[in-house]
Amino acid sequence: MIRTTSRWRNTLSVALTGISLFSVTAASAGEISVWVWDKAFNGDTMREAGALYTADHPDVTFNVDDTASQDDIRAKLQTQLLAGSTEGLPDIVLIQDDIAQKYLQSFPGAFEPLSDYIDMSVFAQYKVAAATHDGKSYSVPFDSGVTGLFYRSDFLEQAGFTAADLENITWDRLIEIGTEVKAKTGKPLLDLDLNDTGVIRMMMQSAGEWYFNEDGSLHITDNAALKKSLETYAKLFQADLVKPVSGWAEYTGAFTSGEVAVVPVGVWITATIKANADQSGLWGVAPIPRLDMEGAVNASNQGGSSWFVLSSSDNKEETIDFLKTVWAGNVDFYQDILIKRGAVGSLLAAREGEAFKASDDFFGGAPVWQNFSTWLSQVPSVDYGTFTAEVDSAVQAQVPGIIEGGDLDAALQAIHDQAQQQMQ
Amino acid sequence: MTVSSMTTTVDRAVAQSRVPANPWGLVRRALVYVLLSLAAFVSIFPFYWMVVGATNTSADIIKGKSSLGSALITNATAFFTQVDAVRIFWNSGVIAVVATVLTLAISSLAGYGFEMFRSRVRERIFGFLLLLLSIPFAAMMVPLFVMFSQAKLVNTFAAVILPTVASIFIIFYFRQTTKAFPTELRDAARIDGLKEWQIFLYVYLPVMRSTYAAATIIVFMANWNNYLWPLVVLQTAENKTITLILSGLTAAYTPDYGLILFGTVLATLPTLVIFFLLQRRFVEGMLGAVK
Amino acid sequence: MAQARLDRRENITGWVFIAPALILLGLFMIYPIVWSLWMSFQVGKGMNLSFGGFANILRLTKDPVFLRALGNTFTFFIFQVPIMIVLALLFAVALNDSTLKFRGFFRTAIFLPCATSLIAYSTVFKSMFAIDGVVNQTLMQLHLIGEPISWLGDPFWAKVLIIMAITWRWTGYNMIFYLAALQNIDRSIYEAARIDGVPAWARFRYLTIPMLKPVILFTTVISTIGTLQLFDEVANFTAGTGGPSDSTLTLSLYIYNLTFKFMPSFGYSATVSWVIVVLVGILSFLQFLIARDRRTS
Repeated sequence: MIRTTSRWRNTLSVALTGISLFSVTAASAGEISVWVWDKAFNGDTMREAGALYTADHPDVTFNVDDTASQDDIRAKLQTQLLAGSTEGLPDIVLIQDDIAQKYLQSFPGAFEPLSDYIDMSVFAQYKVAAATHDGKSYSVPFDSGVTGLFYRSDFLEQAGFTAADLENITWDRLIEIGTEVKAKTGKPLLDLDLNDTGVIRMMMQSAGEWYFNEDGSLHITDNAALKKSLETYAKLFQADLVKPVSGWAEYTGAFTSGEVAVVPVGVWITATIKANADQSGLWGVAPIPRLDMEGAVNASNQGGSSWFVLSSSDNKEETIDFLKTVWAGNVDFYQDILIKRGAVGSLLAAREGEAFKASDDFFGGAPVWQNFSTWLSQVPSVDYGTFTAEVDSAVQAQVPGIIEGGDLDAALQAIHDQAQQQMQ
Repeated sequence: MTVSSMTTTVDRAVAQSRVPANPWGLVRRALVYVLLSLAAFVSIFPFYWMVVGATNTSADIIKGKSSLGSALITNATAFFTQVDAVRIFWNSGVIAVVATVLTLAISSLAGYGFEMFRSRVRERIFGFLLLLLSIPFAAMMVPLFVMFSQAKLVNTFAAVILPTVASIFIIFYFRQTTKAFPTELRDAARIDGLKEWQIFLYVYLPVMRSTYAAATIIVFMANWNNYLWPLVVLQTAENKTITLILSGLTAAYTPDYGLILFGTVLATLPTLVIFFLLQRRFVEGMLGAVK
Repeated sequence: MAQARLDRRENITGWVFIAPALILLGLFMIYPIVWSLWMSFQVGKGMNLSFGGFANILRLTKDPVFLRALGNTFTFFIFQVPIMIVLALLFAVALNDSTLKFRGFFRTAIFLPCATSLIAYSTVFKSMFAIDGVVNQTLMQLHLIGEPISWLGDPFWAKVLIIMAITWRWTGYNMIFYLAALQNIDRSIYEAARIDGVPAWARFRYLTIPMLKPVILFTTVISTIGTLQLFDEVANFTAGTGGPSDSTLTLSLYIYNLTFKFMPSFGYSATVSWVIVVLVGILSFLQFLIARDRRTS
């Protein structure tokens, strides 16, 4: 009996010492910590940038944490900023452009105004605008989300189409082409995730519109571009050209395993497509179709993110100097990450480099990067505002009804009402 | 429920239905097997898919291949190269084991206390605790973080473990199962001169071992899979748990599903081992343990 | 079950047994709870907060998304909890029969779903219920449906899918509680009843159910809370949107969105959290009341 109790006590004491043993090692001075969400893309890109800087500044080391997803990073960042505890926050965090304003306005003082130290005119201006608040810019732009229409040239060929047939077309024309392709090959034109409004937003931005007016009020019921986008989106379904999918795995799975003919998407998808080496030469990239309306162009943006420096950083000086030296100044670095990671950066001068001029055999020997650069310069700049997530959610609620042929004006009104309610 | 009331229920049931032995017994037995087999098949399938997926390449998995592949070694190598597996599993293990031991100790004591020593005040407290059980964790995360940050415990295992060990859920569970604990045993022990803590340790604990077995599985699993709080409070990569690491891998632009499924199979094993070890406890009757 | 009044010593012993738990709960729950209650009276974005009185509660009553989430949560609760409890109970009783062969196998198999990782299980479910997935193909071959069902694209079927998914995942989990509880029942009563010729259903109805009542009550309350806090499945199946058309949006997912996805609005999300507390309070009270009524009758 005595033995049993002492065993109990031992277990407990071992357990308790166990807890106290595992205490923290705080980030050491001279170490720049970074939060990113994808190892192969933004993680390795940042590691490479860090290595470049360390070569000249041996006393500065980098700690790039890529073990959390983007949603997780938001949850961590937000909890800590709200708790007012900066302990454990990184020096640099990657944030997607369309939610940057939300952070800047919700947490004043949490981020360092980088335009005080770095000349922002060297970057693509629509990227800088996304992180500008009260006349100051808070980010060093990273990757561009310029869009392209990735397509399977073999499928299109079977239906009698060539690359030229996809140049400067409207979505209506793409629907005609898709119908032909489906008749000949049996493949749906594209796959879409009903829970993702990405393509609708892409269409809308190609006409230079977004969900908001300049003063931040809702621009929904009188938004011709949004209406046209929803109409086009519904047409794709009504013409039976869509393979509906759910979630990222199915979404990427459909086009990487040859189930659909085209993918209208941001340039950052390139690595995912090129991961299937056996499909080399079977792919092409065209400009995305435009909406059939005044002011619409064959270029848009989807996603893309930027580096933000937290004001709580212990190594602010080194951190900013690092961003300035590598990310705002090293043209060769941008050639490198383009070749190795497929990352299209936002430094304007980098576009004149060799890598950007090279052609790619995977895409049938086309100068794809040059093309993306051209389209990038045409992307209409829009103000993402602070409530994009709220309106997205309101749009999603109406999408199934719109696909079934529901009244568009009523749907827009419903989107407006719901979003208005959420924007408090 | 006392013994006398149970016997009257039986008497009543017997009186109501004095039927001869069911001639359909065999058919019914067959039906039970068919239904259980069906349930087993449906239950096993996703698990089977997960195990098979661990042997396939990412491309094959996306194509929906559901037969054994030859990429197991590749996936394993990729997993162990990308993830500091020993460290991460050690983290998960320490957190889950310490949390389980502490939770069982503290929460079973409380469950026993609430049921065996009832008083009006404690009943009120218990009712209040049940209400607290329903507060979504997201609502308490920020203030909890403030507390641990002030205590300089952010990024420690203690911060992950401490808020979970007094589990209202497990207190409630122990309280409910204690209702089946025969009070005669306690009375007998008291007459034998055992102290209250001795009764708990030497009478109650062995008798309730099937309850402890079930609670061990449940608590271990909950801690092993705990997500939101460890996510926020464990900040450096080397302190993270396997559940956090797997979630991050899934969110990549080009996820390697072979690697991920290999990781999920590994991450599932500890729970299964514990279940295998403890499931025998569900077969042994409580009273057998006393004899 | 009248209990004699405790004497002073016993009363103190009672406090000693629950003291460690109460101290810890006080430490880790009181402050967060007071904080979140206080927050539910705050309005504003991020760190820019001000006292808003009952503004958040007023906002609740006018929020169509909240009302949708509330409705969905109730639908899940009403259909899912009873189905799962009954299934778990039946499995437990069937597996408690010592003459049954392959008991260990069946027990492990039915437990597996809750141990299978969420990633694996949501991926498998999504692919099985995809528009060209195995479920639709089977149903079409059996001529039960004319054209494929869009399980995740149709508001009604998406709900059905979620109910099936949670039932699949948590039935074995609940079964564990019943199996463990069944071990605490004196076998000799069953033997006596069998010798007296009491048929199986009557033994189940008049012996098993009454003796399991405390645990049934426990699982019901836990499942109620679990369903009201339903998050994992809907978040994973719908990429965190609760789609299509918010048809699978739950209160918990809405709270998460209000906190982390939308303009951070902690005051309002705290208010929605307290709605869950109030609902659980009412439902648990009703469940206890029903359990008590049966006991006295």
